[in-house]
Amino acid sequence: MEGRPLDDIALVERARNGDVNAYEALVQHYQELAFRVAYQVTGNAADAEDAAQEAFVNAYYALGRFRPGAPFRPWLCRIVVNEARNRRTSAQRRTVLAERALVAQSSGDSAQSPEAAAEADAFRSTLVATLRTLRQDDRLILAYRLFFDLSEAEMAQALSVPRGTVKSRLSRALARLREALPADIRMPSPAGEHDG
Amino acid sequence: MADLQRITDVELERALRDLGPRYPYPPTPNLASKVRLRITAQPVARPRRFELWRDPRRLALVAAVLLVLLGAAAVANPATRDAIAHFFHVRGVIVNRQASPLPSFSPVTPLDLGRRTTLADAQSSVKFNIAVPAELGAPDAVYVVSDIPGGEVALAYTPRPSIPLVTQTGLGVLVTEFRGDLNPVFLMKGLGEGTTAEEVSVNGDPGWWISGQPHMIYVEVGGQGQSVPLRLAANTLIWEHAGVTYRIESGLSKADAFRITAGLP
Repeated sequence: MEGRPLDDIALVERARNGDVNAYEALVQHYQELAFRVAYQVTGNAADAEDAAQEAFVNAYYALGRFRPGAPFRPWLCRIVVNEARNRRTSAQRRTVLAERALVAQSSGDSAQSPEAAAEADAFRSTLVATLRTLRQDDRLILAYRLFFDLSEAEMAQALSVPRGTVKSRLSRALARLREALPADIRMPSPAGEHDG
Repeated sequence: MADLQRITDVELERALRDLGPRYPYPPTPNLASKVRLRITAQPVARPRRFELWRDPRRLALVAAVLLVLLGAAAVANPATRDAIAHFFHVRGVIVNRQASPLPSFSPVTPLDLGRRTTLADAQSSVKFNIAVPAELGAPDAVYVVSDIPGGEVALAYTPRPSIPLVTQTGLGVLVTEFRGDLNPVFLMKGLGEGTTAEEVSVNGDPGWWISGQPHMIYVEVGGQGQSVPLRLAANTLIWEHAGVTYRIESGLSKADAFRITAGLP
């Protein structure tokens, strides 16, 4: 990721001048992020793909309004989320997170005992299930910060709110997640320290 | 007992960071080629001077006027007459030699192919039978322009291992079909040095193979030497059969381009 913003600036500039190859390189680099952000909003793969694709097309035509030198990632996230929300509004009646219950991938950490690994998997599955019960805004802000590693400044741009608001919203989302977790949940034991 | 301890914010953040890379997302689809196809085939806001030419009806009107003007020029100027006479085998297309160097374009100018639709819908919007090259199979995207006489269809194919990317179109192969008999000067082509035009026979019909350096597609204004360049085009095979003009633009060799015409009219 180091140096990426500079690459982005050059690619965005070339794309603004009609270089589709440059834009394709941006899509290539950001398609995973866009799809995953959209998925956090829509909760299903088909709508997420649709939203991400539409967002990239719309972003291309909006490049003329993009401030040269500004970070591309939060700008793209904002467009993706708008597209995803449009789809979710129409789709949520027929599929409220109707994806089959996927289980978070095991850490595959060989240092963990089978018991500890199973415990960690169970914890992650509970976390995923609980995240899905949260309000969309809460889930999104947690994902921006902790899954996609956006800085506070980037989050402020992606959410179109002041930086101070980002902090307070993040801490409220975290609090609501904790309240929504089952009362008996416990942190999994760290690797090699299974307490039996 | 750990299970009675309340999870702290720090622990929860750590747990979420740990979950991030393992979150059960569905596989990320490859959006790049789909997005590329859409942005190269859709119209984009261009400088104002292009607006006139984006309206197919106006384009057809200008073309009709041009036909008259070029007809007059053909009588007056033997060189023009030759060029036109040669290319009138294929109605709908006029090819000229450019005396001056071709203008430069940004790497890709959007193609403005019309409304994206399905093959079935396109067929109901045009007045000829749409021919799909069996060699290429179903197109990745279909576009139709229904407000020129007889309509026009564009079949877009993304690059494949056997079909190189054409930087001028952002596609692998672009096939366009329109009623050349109803739109006698629908397209104009300007060939610079380094581009050759060879008379060929496609499935028994006269046609042209234009290859080498990219050539320019343009509209000339009133025969005054002012031209509105549209974009640069790659190797093109063009022919007419029963009033329909077919055009295949690609980065393929002549032999490979001809292979695509197998089974076409």
